[in-house]
Amino acid sequence: MRTVLFENMSMAFSAIRVNKMRSFLTMLGIIIGIGSVISIVSIGDTMRSLFADLYKDVGVTQAYLCVGYWLDDRRMSDYFTLDDLEKVKEVFGDSITYIDSSASTGAEAINKKTKVNFDFTGIDYNYIDVQPVDMVYGRYLNEGDVLGRKKNVVMDVDSAMLLFGMENAVGQTFRTELYGDVDEFTVVGVYRKEMSPFQALMMGGRSDRGSAFIPYTLLTWPNDYFYYLRLFASEDVRLNEFFDQLKAYVANIKGRNPEDMYMETAMEQMNSVDAVMGGLSAAVGGIAAISLLVGGIGIMNIMLVSVTERTREIGIRKSLGAKTRDILIQFLTESAILSACGGVIGIVIGVGLVSGIGMAFGIGTVIRPSVVILAVSFSASDCILHRRLLRRIRLMR
Amino acid sequence: MAEELIRLKDLVKIYDTGAIKVLGLKRINLTINRGEFVAIMGKSGSGKSTLMNILGCLDRPSMGHYYLDGIDVASMTSNELSEIRNKKIGFVFQSFNLISRTSALKNVEIPMTYAKVGKKARRERALKLLDRVGLLSRAQHMPNELSGGQRQRVAIARALANQPPLILADEPTGNLDTAASEEIMELFSELHREGATVVVVTHEENIAEFTDRIIRFQDGLVISDRRKGSEDSAV
Repeated sequence: MRTVLFENMSMAFSAIRVNKMRSFLTMLGIIIGIGSVISIVSIGDTMRSLFADLYKDVGVTQAYLCVGYWLDDRRMSDYFTLDDLEKVKEVFGDSITYIDSSASTGAEAINKKTKVNFDFTGIDYNYIDVQPVDMVYGRYLNEGDVLGRKKNVVMDVDSAMLLFGMENAVGQTFRTELYGDVDEFTVVGVYRKEMSPFQALMMGGRSDRGSAFIPYTLLTWPNDYFYYLRLFASEDVRLNEFFDQLKAYVANIKGRNPEDMYMETAMEQMNSVDAVMGGLSAAVGGIAAISLLVGGIGIMNIMLVSVTERTREIGIRKSLGAKTRDILIQFLTESAILSACGGVIGIVIGVGLVSGIGMAFGIGTVIRPSVVILAVSFSASDCILHRRLLRRIRLMR
Repeated sequence: MAEELIRLKDLVKIYDTGAIKVLGLKRINLTINRGEFVAIMGKSGSGKSTLMNILGCLDRPSMGHYYLDGIDVASMTSNELSEIRNKKIGFVFQSFNLISRTSALKNVEIPMTYAKVGKKARRERALKLLDRVGLLSRAQHMPNELSGGQRQRVAIARALANQPPLILADEPTGNLDTAASEEIMELFSELHREGATVVVVTHEENIAEFTDRIIRFQDGLVISDRRKGSEDSAV
């Protein structure tokens, strides 16, 4: 049996060698099919993983909580105060790594003659724990800044360049107007945030706009009302359960029902984006699979032509004692070898293309082995189809 | 008494083309013994090719029996017939029917491949056979690099590959010039002297003259069966 297999292999190889051009063109269909399925699905998977990374950066455990915007009977007590925030902190202290009043504002920062529009985000001193940054100059905001309502800011190097024309802006001051009060602010630290090219792309070019962190206590005063609670759950809690408990608790102190609360979580967003991307990549992959099918049909067609073309050879072989099965195996081996060679080249091209693009953009690419296996087995299944077709031809003779 | 190799009993072949039925062979009774050198002659349409196809197990009779080496092949399946062709019959065709772009040596090896002969034994035997037909030096040549006579000799070597009891040649000299034709017929005569049973289908008298027995066909019937040195015995 092994010798027969070997004979068939060597016969098939010599047939392929003899018809080099035709064999190559036949394989081309499979090469393009497998190559495109692998590269397209991998590009989709890579995009998904990039978005997942992006959300990891935003903080997967991040959530915003407020009383439902859809309610008609809006009351003053629907808004939060710092007291509410302290209550939540007390009750859920173990499960929450960070919480603030989600305060931010835009204002013009003035340094001598330089005026730059700035986004000020009010943060607590431990914001760095949930949104890590590399401090390159000075220090981060500390507890004293927050509790003492110090007019200190931390900004990124790009903003520092915009406003002061230098990266090390520690000790520099500027004026700005927050909620009607003009004050002088001091830069206490400058940070740098590493971003992948993809993240930078997604964040948009903020070339003419600065951003800075200031103590949230400057934006939210006692007895001020604010609409959103922003928080980061700790990594080790079961998010869904915790969010439900939190919702119930806050609804209770606001005299609302849990279902009247609105909660937006990064997790949900991430899942929906992932679902969209996954659907998209599956759809495009499906379209690419059509080219795989076309490639398979190409091989099938060539084998058909080849059988018709070689009726004479088949006749001779049969007169020399070949059984129908022998002839069938010969042609099947030939098509299997074509499929296999095309498959291997297709994998090399597909994986090479994706890795090449990934390297060019500095992105880590994701290539699922399952996709590769699927694509190849799909093209291999074409061989089975040949078998049935060939059988029909055999009967015709 | 000579041993029977082929025995046809009331053999009938009907070609059914749907609209009309054509009688290809009409109740043929024929015996060929082991070691005979026979020519089958007749004009086109006489039934000699039909008989040839049946003798070669390429076609099955519609009625009657065909015993080859004692086996009734009339009722065999196509796979069994393949095996019979492989083991019992060596074919030589008018158009040589070598497999193109495949060396002479490989061509001779093919029947042994289907007989599942080991690679080494196959090669040895193929080389011996090529030597036998005087083409050892051309073993690696492709068919299109050989002359007609050489190609036919490769075909004969191939026919001998599995040492079949019967060699069937269908117009073996039809595509050859006179010199090559004689060469080929000499080769058949030699094989015959060595003990092989050779059946040649031809319409050329001078080719038939090489054989010991001439069977003439006309309209699906045997009209004469003459052995060399004996009188015509009309049937």
